[in-house]
Amino acid sequence: MSVPNGLRCLLRPSTTTSIPARIVPVTVLAASFSSTSLLGKNPLPPKGKAPPSRVKVLPGGHIRAGKKMQLGKFKKNKQVDRSRPPAPGERKAYRKRVTLSNNNALPVEGLEEMSPQAMVDPEKVGRMLALPNELVDQLRAVEAFKPTQTWNMFRQPSILQRKETRELAEKMQAAAGKGETLKLVISGDRLVGKSMLLLQAVSYAYLNNWIVFHIPEGQELTNASTDYAPIPNTAPTQYSQQAYALRILQFLRKANQKLLLDLKTVFPHPELVQHFPVGTSLLQVANAAKEPDSTWPIFNAVLQELTAEGAGRPPILFSLDGLSFVMKASEYRSPAFELIHSHDLSIVRRFVDLLSGKTKLPSGGAVVAATSRGNSPRNPSMELMIAQQEAKQGLREQPVKEPYNRKYDDRVEAAMRDIEVLRLSSVSRSEARSLMEYWAASGLLRTAVDEKAVSDKWALGGNGNLGEMERATLLTMRY
Amino acid sequence: MVFILGVNFQEQKLVKKALETFYALGPQKSSRILAKYSIHPMMKVGSLPQRTITALTAELSSMTIENDARKIVQDNIKRLRDIGTVRGRRHAMGLPVRGQKTRNQIQTARKLNRVERRG
Repeated sequence: MSVPNGLRCLLRPSTTTSIPARIVPVTVLAASFSSTSLLGKNPLPPKGKAPPSRVKVLPGGHIRAGKKMQLGKFKKNKQVDRSRPPAPGERKAYRKRVTLSNNNALPVEGLEEMSPQAMVDPEKVGRMLALPNELVDQLRAVEAFKPTQTWNMFRQPSILQRKETRELAEKMQAAAGKGETLKLVISGDRLVGKSMLLLQAVSYAYLNNWIVFHIPEGQELTNASTDYAPIPNTAPTQYSQQAYALRILQFLRKANQKLLLDLKTVFPHPELVQHFPVGTSLLQVANAAKEPDSTWPIFNAVLQELTAEGAGRPPILFSLDGLSFVMKASEYRSPAFELIHSHDLSIVRRFVDLLSGKTKLPSGGAVVAATSRGNSPRNPSMELMIAQQEAKQGLREQPVKEPYNRKYDDRVEAAMRDIEVLRLSSVSRSEARSLMEYWAASGLLRTAVDEKAVSDKWALGGNGNLGEMERATLLTMRY
Repeated sequence: MVFILGVNFQEQKLVKKALETFYALGPQKSSRILAKYSIHPMMKVGSLPQRTITALTAELSSMTIENDARKIVQDNIKRLRDIGTVRGRRHAMGLPVRGQKTRNQIQTARKLNRVERRG
């Protein structure tokens, strides 16, 4: 007898052994009520076959197979996956792709285009505004659209003009008019539309021909995933991030090309390898950065030129999403193996200095940061400063600093002492209604948009939390 | 392919993992070396600049790793055997050193415990 056959006689009676039907009682496999269509269709098992002996029937009607001895389980599985493995970076690109148009969605007639006037117009609050194509290209170039947002459901990217959007746009307009720097942090609950409001701020800046430095994710700067190097002759030591600086310059070149072409240099820049005589266009200087190794001096030169006083520079917007990542110790290590504080990273430092008011933009502009609730570390100091500011603005009562909490950070508190906070809350019913009408006009919402439907979805979405409304309405397949 | 201390590494390999392939160089030491040369933990071997590779090789050659580290372990075992301790004798016999039972499984001891210990 061969070995496997010999072992088979030791097998326990298993599913393969059939026992006559008359010995085994017929078990009803399904509960009296079942939502499973398969079981619901055939509540009784076919008469001819007896249920296997070691099958366990659990109370809910679920079946669990009994123990079976497997022979030859250590044999190698011969099936080899011959498909080509994804190339390096391919899966990430797929995960991070942003689709901005859906040809199956209906085009919405009569949508107004976003324009500098429309963004500050009180008449336009609560209307949907379509992004003009040129602006879409600019926003895409700086990666202001996120893969988690639902752009891929509609024909053309359009945004709801909210009350807060107009408020923010007006503040930016006023700051640029007076040559001051607006220092603002957008806070609010989860899914309330903070990143979207930041996108609108960036859009406003582009539409008004501002220079924009947009950092799409604060964490990319601080979670130790790009190059860094200590900058010589700085005390305390600061760190440059050349690869990320190159990325910012690329954003700038793509999105602000026309503007940069018209701006001319006013400083000689002897520190650069290439010679740029005074009066060269800034685009040419920015274009000189091709390799990360040579980027840092060029990045500095471009920033120095853009913030030159009395040279007729346009207003500048510095924007950043995910503030709490740049308000704590980064994951980088110094040569002495200590964690580097994010504020010692030079790019972050420039942003934070502007936010704290230590440096100013000579021709005015804005520094806008959005907090994030989905993926962000706890940051007691930042939360405290935001809460204090909200209390000053009369939005809540004065917060108390926990006396025994050692996770507060003085540097963060100093940086955020003098900021404005825009607390984003839920939308009003009229805003919700115009958004739902847009959904219906795009063919995504197949009910009549009336008072009842609006208040239904408004209540279902956490009393007008836009993201939750979207979840409750668009992202479920039940209409 | 990149040479670090005479060893050839694939370009996609993380620098940290490449360093940890050397005997007696673990996660702690490799993190410290990365910090010393300002290499971020996600850096791949292929994107290291040449001067950093040279510096890394110089750093590694000044450390007690690979054969130097093995030699220390072997010397310790040899010393134990020469002074005739139980631990030394058990090493020489390829048996467990710390009072384990030897009735059944002593594979690890058979593999590792010898005077000229390899790993």
